[in-house]
Amino acid sequence: MWGYILTVTMVSQESVAEPRRVAVSRRGILIGIRRLLPICVFVVPFGIAFGVAAVAGGLGPLQATGMSLFVFTATAQFAALEFLRDPVAFVSLGLVALSLSARHIIMGAALSAWVNQLPLGRRLAILFFLSDANFADTQGSMREGSPDLGPLLGGGLALWATWAASTAAGAFGGRIFGDTEAYGFGSLMLCFFAATALGMVRGSHGLIWPVVAASAVAIMTLPLLPTGWNILLAAVLGGLISVATHAE
Amino acid sequence: MLSDWSYTVSLIILASAAFATRVSGATLMSRVTPGPKVERFLEGLSVSVIAALVASGLAAGSGVSWAAVSAALVAMALSRSVVWAMLAGLICAIALRHALGL
Repeated sequence: MWGYILTVTMVSQESVAEPRRVAVSRRGILIGIRRLLPICVFVVPFGIAFGVAAVAGGLGPLQATGMSLFVFTATAQFAALEFLRDPVAFVSLGLVALSLSARHIIMGAALSAWVNQLPLGRRLAILFFLSDANFADTQGSMREGSPDLGPLLGGGLALWATWAASTAAGAFGGRIFGDTEAYGFGSLMLCFFAATALGMVRGSHGLIWPVVAASAVAIMTLPLLPTGWNILLAAVLGGLISVATHAE
Repeated sequence: MLSDWSYTVSLIILASAAFATRVSGATLMSRVTPGPKVERFLEGLSVSVIAALVASGLAAGSGVSWAAVSAALVAMALSRSVVWAMLAGLICAIALRHALGL
C-alpha cells in the first residue's frame, strides 16, 4: 500500500487537455482507493475526535455515526456541534453548513467538464463523495485529460468509509483514545494540502501568482468574513489572476 | 441531549447543504460552454482552493502547524512524494510537541 506513492499533480499545467469520453471504471475505482489509503490513515484520528466530541456534545453514538455517513464534511460537522442543542437554530445551522461547504461549489465547477458527461444518477453519486483530498489527488490526471472518474469515486469511497468508521469508533469507544492532537495529527491535513499545492505549482510556474494571492486574501479576510467564505473569495480571486497572467 | 426530531431535522439540513454545494458547481457549469479562459480560470481556482485552505489553517494554527507544513514542503520539494511530505510533517509535529511539553 505504501509503495503506491502519491505523486500528485506533477503534470504540466500549461496544457490542459480536453477530456476524452468520460467513464467510471472499476480499475480506476480501485486505483483511487489504493492512492487514498495513506491519506485515510490520517483521517482516522479526525474521525475519532469527531465521534468523541459529538457524544460529549450530547449526540448518541448512532446519531454521530449517521451524521458522518450522510454529511461527510468534517469542518461543517465539527461546527454543527455548536448548534445541536434544543432548541436548535435551524437557519443558522444551515447557513453555517453552506458557508463551510461552499468550496465544494468551486471544486464541482472545476470538475464539470468531466462529471457533466455522465448520466444524472452517476453524476450525483460521484459528487456526493467529492471532498478536499480526492479532489486534490485527481487534479493531475484530470488536467492531463484522463477520461476516467473512477479514481475520484474510489478515493471518495475510501475517505467516506474511513470517516464514518472512525467516527463510530470514537463515538462508541468513548474517551479511551484520549487527546488525538497529542499524537501530532492536527497539522496533517494542512501538510497534505500544502504538498499538493506545491506539486501543482511545480507543474506550472504560471500558478504561483494565484497561489500567493489566494493565500494572502484567505489570511486577510479570515477575521472579516464568516468562516469558510474567505476560502471562496480567495479561490475566485486566484482564478481571475490565473486568467490575467495567462493572457500576458 | 438532542431530541430525535431535532436531530432528524438537523441531519436533513446538514446533509442537504453539503450535497447542494457538491452538485451546484457542476450543474451551473453545464449551462456554460467552457473556453480557454474558463479552463484557465478553473485551473487557477483548483490550486487556489487548496492554497487558501492551507493559509487559513496556518493563520488559525500554532507554531507547530507552521513547522510541520514547512517540513512537509521541504520533503515534497526533495522527494516529490506527498506521503513522504506528510510523514515529515507528522514527525516534525510530534518532535516539537514533545520538545515543548505540549
